[in-house]
Amino acid sequence: MPGHPRAARSRSGRTRRAPYARTAALAAVTAVCLLAGACTGSSGGGAQDDPDAETTLTFWHGWSAPSEVEAIDANIEAFEEKHPNITVKTVKNVSDDKLNQALRAGGGDSPDVVSSFATDNVGRFCAANALADLKPFLAKSGIDPAKTFPKPMLDYTQYEGKRCTLPLLGDAYGLYYNKDAFAKAGIEAPPKTFSEFDEVAKKLTKEKGDSYSQLGFMPNYHGYESTVEHFGAQFGVDYFDADGRAANASDPGMKALFTWQRELVDALGGFEKLERHRSTFGDEWGAKHPFHTGQVAMQLDGEWRGKMAKEAGADFEIGTAPLPVPDGQEDSYGKGYLSGTVVGVASSSPRQNAAWELVRFLTTDTNAVVDFANAIHNVPSTLAAMKSPRLNEDPDYRTFVKIAQHPGSRHAPGSVNGAAYLLTLQDLGYAYESGREKSLDAGLRKADRQIDKDLAQAG
Amino acid sequence: MSTRTDRLPRTAPEPTSRTAPGTAGRPPAPYGRRAATLEWIAVHALAVAAALFFVLPFVFVLLTAVMSDSQALTRDLWPNTWEWGNFRTVWETPGFLTWWRNTLLYAGLGTVLAVGSSIPVAYALAKFRFRGRNLMMMAVIAMMMLPPQVVIVPMYLFWSKQLGLSGTLWPLIVPMAFGNPFTIFLLRQFLLTIPREYTEAARIDGCGEFRAMVRVVLPMARPALAAVALFHFFYCWNDYFGPQIYASENPGAWTLSYGLESFKGAHQTDWNLTMAATVLVMAPVIVVFFFAQKAFIEGVTLTGVKG
Amino acid sequence: MTTIHPGLKARRRRSALRTAAFLSPWLLGFSVFFAYPLLATLYFSFMKYDGFTAPVWNGLANWSYVFQDYPFFWPALRNTLWLVVVMVSLRVVFGLGVGLLVTRVRTAPGLFRTFFYLPYLAPPVAATMAFVFLLNPGTGPANTVLDLFGMPQPGWFKDADWSKPALTLLALWGIGDLMIIFMAALLDVPRDQYEAAELDGAGPFARFRYVTLPNISPILLFAVVTGVIETMQFYTQPLVAGKVASGVIGGSGQQFEPGYPDQSTLTVPQIVYNLGFQRFDTGSACVVALVLFALCMAFTAVLMRRGSGFLSAED
Repeated sequence: MPGHPRAARSRSGRTRRAPYARTAALAAVTAVCLLAGACTGSSGGGAQDDPDAETTLTFWHGWSAPSEVEAIDANIEAFEEKHPNITVKTVKNVSDDKLNQALRAGGGDSPDVVSSFATDNVGRFCAANALADLKPFLAKSGIDPAKTFPKPMLDYTQYEGKRCTLPLLGDAYGLYYNKDAFAKAGIEAPPKTFSEFDEVAKKLTKEKGDSYSQLGFMPNYHGYESTVEHFGAQFGVDYFDADGRAANASDPGMKALFTWQRELVDALGGFEKLERHRSTFGDEWGAKHPFHTGQVAMQLDGEWRGKMAKEAGADFEIGTAPLPVPDGQEDSYGKGYLSGTVVGVASSSPRQNAAWELVRFLTTDTNAVVDFANAIHNVPSTLAAMKSPRLNEDPDYRTFVKIAQHPGSRHAPGSVNGAAYLLTLQDLGYAYESGREKSLDAGLRKADRQIDKDLAQAG
Repeated sequence: MSTRTDRLPRTAPEPTSRTAPGTAGRPPAPYGRRAATLEWIAVHALAVAAALFFVLPFVFVLLTAVMSDSQALTRDLWPNTWEWGNFRTVWETPGFLTWWRNTLLYAGLGTVLAVGSSIPVAYALAKFRFRGRNLMMMAVIAMMMLPPQVVIVPMYLFWSKQLGLSGTLWPLIVPMAFGNPFTIFLLRQFLLTIPREYTEAARIDGCGEFRAMVRVVLPMARPALAAVALFHFFYCWNDYFGPQIYASENPGAWTLSYGLESFKGAHQTDWNLTMAATVLVMAPVIVVFFFAQKAFIEGVTLTGVKG
Repeated sequence: MTTIHPGLKARRRRSALRTAAFLSPWLLGFSVFFAYPLLATLYFSFMKYDGFTAPVWNGLANWSYVFQDYPFFWPALRNTLWLVVVMVSLRVVFGLGVGLLVTRVRTAPGLFRTFFYLPYLAPPVAATMAFVFLLNPGTGPANTVLDLFGMPQPGWFKDADWSKPALTLLALWGIGDLMIIFMAALLDVPRDQYEAAELDGAGPFARFRYVTLPNISPILLFAVVTGVIETMQFYTQPLVAGKVASGVIGGSGQQFEPGYPDQSTLTVPQIVYNLGFQRFDTGSACVVALVLFALCMAFTAVLMRRGSGFLSAED
């Protein structure tokens, strides 16, 4: 995830006859026009434009913080130097909802190349052919994706065999901990299993009246980044069965996840008390993040947090480690949730060959990937860039590069309606942690039914 | 309806200076001075408390707008340092001026078109007798009460897929040229108060109906026109849903209301700057209010009225 | 009809043409921006359409999905109902209270009136962002002040139980329009009725109950019904409050969780957006749009029948 945001998703009836008839006729005519013009996005990959011709590409991206915008602009400049015939017009700060809307609308100002932070929408983009299939382009350029990109990143950039996006930097999630607080509590090493994690969280928690002076960990689902899919990577949950039907009620990992989270909530003082503490937290992307201020001693977060904490002036030593794994699965320790920015070519673009040149440069040029990763403090997205000696040496950052390379690391699967199923599970989480939902089994079965119905409605 | 306007502040500039109900013409004897003093104290204590409720939010917003970053999220309510530069920072934020320009375009052009196109419609509905008039008035009211969300899906498809105008403000401005129901309604309510004799006299003088409207009725309706224009201007200024649907995908077409929200995202929650931006979005509205207070209050009264 | 003088007929035709010319902008606007989209909304409510592939007939599937399976429909309807009951009644009572107060203030009445009216003018997005900041549970000025007095400090926009009360507070802050309407109505109550009541020995409460209230009851009805309709359209404030309080801003590349926290600020217009412009389930969005249309028209009908003339189509 691009330097920051994103995580939070992980958030009078008697009218006279004549005029009525005319209105109806008008409506009918317009409706027919609508139907005729409705299928813009679905043309196949008819890429016949000449990539060496003078052309202007429109590139949409979601980065908004000044330092990130500067970094992507530098990247684009490097591309323009290599391809003097192509000029790139960038539009920054585009949200995924808008992207979805614009790809549907088509039209003159619509983008040729788009990038998105919401990996969960890849399924929708691929299934609807909103983004062009990149396989022929990869073949033409002699790029073997399997030898170029890490496997988990290859997985989340395709949907049911359609490769309509490529990864452009990644985000790995791990554990940040306050080393000073660890030392004070006599804890020597970061926890490797969830039972160790619970012990550590309890030891680090200092109550003060009906609140906390320091909380070991904020397990509530509204706590920053503590979402079902982030925990889910550790518990090895699959979400769907082989037929693509929701299968959470029968997944022991999913039950273990919900049970563990609920028990930790209770052990740390209960839902109500934790919520009251949570309401005193500063913003996730602001200087007063609870980890920066010492209000929480451990934080599940992506690779950007270390840099943000230092810039915010956190006055303690920061430690980083992979998130723990369930007891008995210690051999898989080191894995984590993986996500990232994806980039693709709009099917509606008349300049797909030129657009591919930009995508190719951004995603596979080792120097471009390394420079961009260093600049915005994200995990690189090619195997070569991960090994590059020019990559940031900061050990905290390296922890996340390692998580990204771990074979067990994964993203939640794509679906035709994006992240809707994750939101459904997250809602169950809110209900279960607060005690509104009493039975986990019944809750999971209900969630499965909801997910299947939503998918059927979307599919 | 016909008596409404003479009760407005225009003819009674200070309504509160008139004797208030309940206290009216009361012989002072049974209560005496003390009771009157006590009542004065009670009423004004309440009024001061209410004023605090209405004014304090503005005060806190202003104070936060001039705080430093590091102070904005602390419990200190009074700025340690006065960072007037925050306003400058916001003003110079890339895009802020564009949002201003877009908002002025949408509100300015939208108001001219809406009022211009609504005048003849309101005039016809108030002054002409024709079959179906009541039905049309009901249709105006129905359209006025209709939430924009009801028709947004086909309208969006129409503007974006048929006309390719998504990412611009035109889908919001163009419909204004076809009469705005709220403006038609208010203007018609006002025009009903102008006696028919005026237009008839004009017609006897040889004026056509259109000239009667422009020469005789419109000058009399100036205060109402000012009120509806103001209302419409503020409606556009404040509109969030319209720009969110049509303009959001193109930052070059954002308006202040839409851009303000994204401001917080791009600035990683610098509340001081966000509040400074909030002040800069509120300020013009409040300045206009002070210049046009009378027209405003008349307009509000016009909406709720008929004794 | 049969014995009409030819000249009269011509004059009638001229007059009909003239009327049509005056009404033409609106006739066009009505058909293109009201009648057509309404019919199209009905049409799409029976179609499956995601914006990419051509619409296909979907029968009643969208309708059953919305009423039975769409997880946000009933919470949104419940929230809207909560707001209609609580927010509208509090706004009417508070508006009347402030109206009464402002008619009794003798010292600096203009100043007080301006103070009371001003918040109504604050652009909704700006006002909402200001309130999210003011009511920020940890560091916001409101809780800081409550703390000074040793009062409990609610979580406001971050607590599902307090988010609607917080929105209500914001709506009460912008009471200016109702205050002016009530103030005008109160000043119109005939003075001699008060005098007569006083001679009969009525105290202030009896005077309010038997003189003021009956006189302003049409205005009260107007305020209630327009309040209900406005509340059913409540969109910008809850949406912005939810987005800002959750820390997720639409501009920055992520989908937001509608109705944060726990769908407590989700209103019916918001789910039209959620279905139509986030999930791109055009058909279901149109179903909700039609439900919203039916609700608004039902209340508008009440207003036209009972509004004793405010919104009367007759003159």
